[in-house]
Amino acid sequence: MTPAFPPVDSVVTQRTIDVYAELSGDYNPLHVDEDVAAASEFGGTIAHGPIAVQSLFRSLTAGLGASALPVGTTVQVTYRAPVRPGDTVTAHVRPAEDPAGPGRLAAECVNQDGVTVVSASVTVPEGQ
Amino acid sequence: MNPAGQLSNILYDDVPVGERRGPYVERVTPDLAARLAGEIGEPRLVREAPPAIFPVMFLRALRRAMGGIPAGSVLAKQELEVDEPVPVGADLEITTWVGEKYVRRDRPYVVIEFDVRRDDGARAATGRKVIVWPTGPGERR
Repeated sequence: MTPAFPPVDSVVTQRTIDVYAELSGDYNPLHVDEDVAAASEFGGTIAHGPIAVQSLFRSLTAGLGASALPVGTTVQVTYRAPVRPGDTVTAHVRPAEDPAGPGRLAAECVNQDGVTVVSASVTVPEGQ
Repeated sequence: MNPAGQLSNILYDDVPVGERRGPYVERVTPDLAARLAGEIGEPRLVREAPPAIFPVMFLRALRRAMGGIPAGSVLAKQELEVDEPVPVGADLEITTWVGEKYVRRDRPYVVIEFDVRRDDGARAATGRKVIVWPTGPGERR
């Protein structure tokens, strides 16, 4: 039986982005340089892609009652829209319909305006 | 905030396909694991590496392999397969290479592959990043 996965919110600030840059070593100016980012197609800084997925990871681990994903888990993420400082990203995880199957999940991370910033397919091994 | 040596400007034409780089050793310190276990940067003690550890390891390996994060690159897709648990405190060995590069709808993409192993040799995870590259074929910066 597939466990229930709670919606999880993440509030993203420039501080979040700066911390992630420090942890990952990714100082891409689109994330940390306001002048460069303002002149880009995004018009301002955007979060690193994995920051947008953090609420999904937290929902999965909360639903599974673990701090890590079980062996055999696969996660495929497509980034749909940028996440900007000030955004609140909420992950929604549900059983997948296409293709449906044991442990197959679909997920969206949406911002406070209802825009999908991330869509994802997740497979969790049976029995988790 | 843009420390010297953290960015690279490799042209699309110069991105080598299939050339394996690494392994690069990165430690899953208690502090790193804790800061990636909940809200980013809000420490939460854990004994096993949270899933967010892997994208961080991918980025660290990418930076080391390319002499910096490609400036102006944008992440389009990311995939992760979990093979073995990673205890906090473990050293991970990450090998990375460019799997392919292509142009679709006038946008240049580079697919970067990652193989993450524990220090006992067991494969902990694999993954890939599909990146929109800042330059296209024939372009100079």
